[in-house]
Amino acid sequence: MLYFRATDPFPLESADHTKLHEFYTRLAAGRLATTRCGACGRLAWPPRGFCGECGSDRFDWTDLSGLGTIHAFTVQEAGLPAGFDGPRVFAIVKIDGLRVFSILVDAEPSSIAVGQPVRLAPLRVADDPSGSPRWLPAFRPA
Amino acid sequence: MRKVALVGAGVSRFGVRKASYRDLIWEAGKACFDSMPAVKPRDVQGLVVGSVMPERTAFQSHIASMAAEALGIRPSALSARTEHMCASGTVGIRYAYAFIAAGLADLVMVLGVEKLNQPRGDEAILNMGTGVDREWEAAFGLTAPPCFALAAQRHMAEYGTTEEQLAMVGLKNHTHASKNPNAHFQKGATLDQILCSRMISTPLRLFMCSPITDGAAAVLVASEDRARDLTDRPVWIRGTGQALDGFQLTSLHEDYARWPALERAAQSAYRMAGIAPADVDVAEVHDCFAIAELIAYEELGFCRKGEAGPFVAAGRSDYGGDVVVNPRGGLIGCGHPLGATGVAQAAEVFAQLRGEAGARQVPDARVGLTHNNSGMGEHVVMIYGREA
Repeated sequence: MLYFRATDPFPLESADHTKLHEFYTRLAAGRLATTRCGACGRLAWPPRGFCGECGSDRFDWTDLSGLGTIHAFTVQEAGLPAGFDGPRVFAIVKIDGLRVFSILVDAEPSSIAVGQPVRLAPLRVADDPSGSPRWLPAFRPA
Repeated sequence: MRKVALVGAGVSRFGVRKASYRDLIWEAGKACFDSMPAVKPRDVQGLVVGSVMPERTAFQSHIASMAAEALGIRPSALSARTEHMCASGTVGIRYAYAFIAAGLADLVMVLGVEKLNQPRGDEAILNMGTGVDREWEAAFGLTAPPCFALAAQRHMAEYGTTEEQLAMVGLKNHTHASKNPNAHFQKGATLDQILCSRMISTPLRLFMCSPITDGAAAVLVASEDRARDLTDRPVWIRGTGQALDGFQLTSLHEDYARWPALERAAQSAYRMAGIAPADVDVAEVHDCFAIAELIAYEELGFCRKGEAGPFVAAGRSDYGGDVVVNPRGGLIGCGHPLGATGVAQAAEVFAQLRGEAGARQVPDARVGLTHNNSGMGEHVVMIYGREA
């Protein structure tokens, strides 16, 4: 198990580890949030602590709708990394004018189509090394 | 700026190798020195090593110094490692080019090396996830195949590109690799085999994908004076370009079948070389997946946007066509030991432009191009010529 800890691909999400911890706090409560630049007002995806447009490091959190549509997708059946199972549906989801990369859960691969509506489905993954729960922003058919 | 040329090149055997990271460095270094016997390790003023993940696969950092010592090179002008995921090798060649063109060095080796295969195959694939964004992409299990699958889906929907046309890229490159004794795969393949191979990520099947490969390659890069001292057949670097659209999938062009950064990188290189796409005789392009080679034809200007499927199907990218693409077998046939790939592409163009490519020789090849990418939004293009 120690070996897999060393190759854990999940982010460290708590306030001890990232300036963006608020994203994960809201996600655990079922909300999809992102950052808006505190200087120029630009909405970002994914959340960011530095604005690539104006150079400000001030930001505010804002909730997104949690409802989007599939812009593009593929179903990976084989060749997945250690710790991940197939078939796995990777998708680009359009949400509030942003493109969000994610996976679809609870979806029958053969029934997925571009343009299909999807809804946020926070996915609990392995706890971090100090036992804190971790979440990723997955989606499911709406 | 001073003119710069390749004067030597060598590659290791590519494959699932019973060899250490250092063994691979020795093999490519030996092959490169053998190609230019007038140069001994002590004559080389600098070493640039393209290598992506030896920290994970060989528990080794401090790569440039380790490789220099392994080869007996004592750098006096340049010592560096380049890491730019799958384009690390060509990025290294650009460093050597710039140092020599600027007059800061006269003779530099660029070596690319990767030992990707691990005791567990799924760990080797997990390692590939370090090339995408850990927090927003790799955490979901993303590696390269689904990224390029998105481009393939889009190209098929928008231009009517077919699964057979994707398979024909695999067929051509497996056939070419069968004439390359250093290739990972040397048995060739049939269209049926490719179309019936295991689905990896829709619509990309196994034989449309490059494998997990160990290997190394090296080239010797020299200033004009040094090159003319060493050989009467230098292969000149005539143009180079690099451009980036973005790192994360959601930063790229929203139409994943369009790669504007590749078009910009190619235009920079063509402009610098003073040539047009039709002047290219041989091209080593980054076919990490079959769709990448098709999109490369379009963005490099070998055919118009959307016409790459018919272009490969008509044999226009094969011997006897407009331009021979991937004569060594490409990444699909040779394998893709990340950091080594760009350097191996340069080594193939070196052999082709000197008329030393044997069974793979493109008749009277005068202008060669290499294209190396790191994801769909980051591209490097080099143009080489027999004449300066």
